[in-house]
Amino acid sequence: MTIDPKRRFDPYALTWRMPIIVWQVLFFIGPLVFMIAMTFFLVKNYRMHEAFEMKNWIKMLGRGFFWDSYFLTLGLATLSTLCATIIAFPAAYALSFKVSANIRRWAIFFLIIPFFTSYLVRTFSWYVILAESGPINAMLAYIGLGPYTMLNTKFGTMVGYMTLTLPLVVILQTVSLASIDRSLIEAAHNLGCGRVRTVFTVIVPLAKTGLIIAAVFCFILSFGDFVAPYYLGGSKPPTLPIMIIDTTKSGQQWPRAAVVAVMMMVTLFTVAFAAIMVAYRKKT
Amino acid sequence: MSDPLVVFENVVKRFGEFVAVEKMNLDIQQGEFLALMGPSGCGKTTTLRMLAGLEQPSEGEIRLAGQVMNDVKPHERDTPLVWQSLALFPFLNARENVEFGLKMRGLDAASRKAKALNWLDRLGLADFAERPVDQLSGGQRQRVALARALVTEPQILLLDEPLSALDAHLVIRMQGELTKLQRELGITFVYVTHSQSEAFAMADRVVIMGDGVIAQTGAAREIYRAPANRFVAEFVGRNNILAGKVTSQVKTAATIETPAGKFKVNIPKARSFSRGDRLSFAISADLVHLSDKNPRGDNVVPCTLISEEFVGSVITLFLESADGTEFKAQIQERELADIDLKSGSTLYLSWPAASAHVLED
Amino acid sequence: MMDSERAIKWFLRGYVVCLFVFVFLPIIASMVFSFNSQRFPTVPLGTFTWHWYETIWQDPDVWDAIKTSIIVSSCTSVLATFIGFCTAYTDYRYSFRFKGAFLALALLPPTIPLIIMALAMLAWFARIGASGEIWSVIIAHTVLTAPFAMAVIRLRLNQIDPNLESAAWNLGASEWTAMREIILPFAKPAIVSALCLTAAVSFDEFAVAWFVSGLNKTVPVIILEIVTGNIDPQVNAIGTFVFITSMTLVIIAQILIMTREKKDAPA
Repeated sequence: MTIDPKRRFDPYALTWRMPIIVWQVLFFIGPLVFMIAMTFFLVKNYRMHEAFEMKNWIKMLGRGFFWDSYFLTLGLATLSTLCATIIAFPAAYALSFKVSANIRRWAIFFLIIPFFTSYLVRTFSWYVILAESGPINAMLAYIGLGPYTMLNTKFGTMVGYMTLTLPLVVILQTVSLASIDRSLIEAAHNLGCGRVRTVFTVIVPLAKTGLIIAAVFCFILSFGDFVAPYYLGGSKPPTLPIMIIDTTKSGQQWPRAAVVAVMMMVTLFTVAFAAIMVAYRKKT
Repeated sequence: MSDPLVVFENVVKRFGEFVAVEKMNLDIQQGEFLALMGPSGCGKTTTLRMLAGLEQPSEGEIRLAGQVMNDVKPHERDTPLVWQSLALFPFLNARENVEFGLKMRGLDAASRKAKALNWLDRLGLADFAERPVDQLSGGQRQRVALARALVTEPQILLLDEPLSALDAHLVIRMQGELTKLQRELGITFVYVTHSQSEAFAMADRVVIMGDGVIAQTGAAREIYRAPANRFVAEFVGRNNILAGKVTSQVKTAATIETPAGKFKVNIPKARSFSRGDRLSFAISADLVHLSDKNPRGDNVVPCTLISEEFVGSVITLFLESADGTEFKAQIQERELADIDLKSGSTLYLSWPAASAHVLED
Repeated sequence: MMDSERAIKWFLRGYVVCLFVFVFLPIIASMVFSFNSQRFPTVPLGTFTWHWYETIWQDPDVWDAIKTSIIVSSCTSVLATFIGFCTAYTDYRYSFRFKGAFLALALLPPTIPLIIMALAMLAWFARIGASGEIWSVIIAHTVLTAPFAMAVIRLRLNQIDPNLESAAWNLGASEWTAMREIILPFAKPAIVSALCLTAAVSFDEFAVAWFVSGLNKTVPVIILEIVTGNIDPQVNAIGTFVFITSMTLVIIAQILIMTREKKDAPA
């Protein structure tokens, strides 16, 4: 719809194009590039000096505790992604095929609500609910069970991750399942394909792209979250986000925190890229 | 004749590699109802959009009332367009839509309103002036779009398939109203359509376009009876098109040998052929005679019936000759009374040599 | 056969209900706890109290945080919606070289973990001498929320008749006038939705705000600090207040989206 391809300078077009470019270069690309540069800076007497040294990289990557944290975080995020995908699927299946479009819309609306409530408050709420003397253990005590330790365990961390990711994963899965052509499923039933087999041979392959994208979002959110592992998981050993906070807030070691952040970004890009390649790969 | 209102001079329009309009030369007269007709993608809408300034010619010049328009922005022209989608402003009511052009020209509110109401009244919409446009019927929306374009009293009105969204019976009525309106106002209408019936019913002059090129320009009858080339003959109406080699020529009468047989045609004065030249010609389906007995003489083709299409009093028959060439014949229903179509016996098509029209290539 | 069909159906329904309970339990529990007298809530619940609300009511830090949060989220929403609108309009109207890169640049921020953005912003603001200011938070939040504004407005522009703008030019409106008279009125509901949504997101964001806010703490940063300290049901009271604020904004946005869908449906 361009009016004049010959006219190079179009003030009207530039008015709408420039704000985002200027803003993102100054306050999005700028910070990220600076953070990468910062990994080569040095800290002396609690002050940062611009330099080009590998010391931070050697210091961080050469230590066992970094790799302990790295694989812990990777493992937790993977576990969280598996849990969320598996827990969400039956619900998404039900919302896609077993209820009316109207109920589906309302369900999605209600699943959006958590995004606008404080994740911190929800986590704190779990902290109280799951406590040794909290409501759940109190109720279990009535039937003679417990008390169980749920805080400061992997279970607590997972509860936190699910609080963060489950609504989004259910929404994304529901949207991708609901867009499957119904007649394909009916055709499968018609050809004598059983219910469970239909799910795995027809529905899952058809919704593959959507399911993988939901999983990727879940991985990104879990991998970068510090609240669940810190408040519900006990943070021993710390995950990478907690390590960033500790390194930044105490001791002014921003460059080392930046090393952790860059490692996280590299990991996330690798995972996301690989997953998207799988998601969009044509069936051979 | 006075100077033309619009002149296209060697106008070319390219979109990247694609050539939408190629070396177009066209004059549009003051007060003329001109139809631009062609299949989709033939460049007719691009031509109209260039006239409105929504596209810029890649080469050549467009002049409006003597002034070169190439660099004049759309909003600085007075070339209102009636859109295929109507493009009414959904958050304004009928009157506000009509007022829009006047508002842009800086008219005060009172005279804007008076003019808009006047036009709505003229198009029979006086009672609907304050209605939101989404509460109007298709025909009413159509009229609002017309009023919106005409309220600024332009010299020229551009219409881009404006009737394509209407029901068939409304189309016929709007055609009549548009023709009447154009006569009364005496302004130029440039009407883009792919519908032959719309173009032929309304336009003083029809321009047929194909692949970005003007294939033929002329009055409706002229184009219908004397299609200039194969493209026009195929696009316009039901023509039987035959091609073959010239075997002999005596003055203006030539004999052509085609796979379906030998036929006689009259060669137009301006053209000359020698033996062996290829030549194609068209016979309109309604000029073909059909009989179940061989009439003897020139231009007879024995055929078998493939199918028939019955539309009111006229029947179109689809036939095939022995070599597989397809023919169409349009016959009055009552003329078929004494022909036996059912038995599957051979039918004979024939036409006078004068009915065959030689095509340019 | 029929029975197993029904059993599956009821099982799935029950499953969905359980999932919603899991999602909403912490939200509802937090509200209940905020009126509960116990410092360490458990069953059976204690007595009803306004005590926690009174404490935060009397806490000047909370009031400062609320003031800061309101300033941050309202400035963020205006800036992010403006930038989001410009981007959405550019995407709607123009095609140009490197448009893919342009859109990637515009939409990428939500895919970067907040903790990384927080560190990068902290370091960058320190470098350019802008750390700890209230507008550092505003700038950072604008980066994070502009993509949401763009998405909401872009969806609305999708519904516009592509000829509407050309029709306005054709009737004598310059590009700027057509923007004012046609595009802006058409996009208005989406613009208001975008304002509400970006304000709500900004109002809840804590990671970046915590890193870059310095002494200008927002409400979520206060919550974070209280939570880090100890169990203190004040958090529930503040949380309930934040929840009600955010939900009001979201519901306004949702109502606007719904009504405009209804209005456009017959056209």
